[in-house]
Amino acid sequence: MLHAKIIDVSKEKIDLAKAQKFIISNKCGASIYFVGTVRDQNDNKKVTGITYDSHDALVIKSFEEIYKEAETKFKFENITVFIEHIKGYAALGDTSIIIAVACKHRAQAYEFSRYIIEEIKKRTPIWKKEHYENKDSEWLKGNPIKTN
Amino acid sequence: MKIKLELFGASREFSEKDFLEFSLKEKSSIKDLRNEILSFIDKKFKSNNNFKKLVQSSSFCSEENNIVTDDYKITKAQKIGIIPPIGGG
Repeated sequence: MLHAKIIDVSKEKIDLAKAQKFIISNKCGASIYFVGTVRDQNDNKKVTGITYDSHDALVIKSFEEIYKEAETKFKFENITVFIEHIKGYAALGDTSIIIAVACKHRAQAYEFSRYIIEEIKKRTPIWKKEHYENKDSEWLKGNPIKTN
Repeated sequence: MKIKLELFGASREFSEKDFLEFSLKEKSSIKDLRNEILSFIDKKFKSNNNFKKLVQSSSFCSEENNIVTDDYKITKAQKIGIIPPIGGG
């Protein structure tokens, strides 16, 4: 079971409690929460915040594809996954992404969660514009999206 | 036919709006669209090399939300998204 959503931070907040509520199940003995946050430094520059941009439809499609691929690859039973990513401005320490995974066993939960974040980094159309202490800002270079 | 090019990521620097509009001949391909964008960069941004590299390294997304390659034929007026190199999470 999958929940996938883009959170426009000008309209609503990303919330770990929602993830906990979604994945909780008596069939699962392990839950992993991956939370990405804005850190204060990148490439020796002092970062004050990040603006995230997103192609919403493609992002959701990519989350669904990654989830289905992971299901096929790992063949774990009773998996529940919650993925939300923000778009808009995030200050230092703000959450940019939550990936919550519940499985029967801890090794499965770690494996499934790691697969999802690594694939998101490779192929989900989200972009970051970093804002710096000296008031400059810059779109990060990123990697060309994979085309099948 | 009219193509509304939706801008994302660093390509948002190409315009103050969220999109650019191009007129393409019938049976044009994504490669033709890419060349039109490069011509636009030449004219509007005096051949800004960073912008040109960005266009050259970008993918494109059809109105049906599929990533399409350079030989994809654009058969009707539509919205197409430019997908610069990505890096979220």
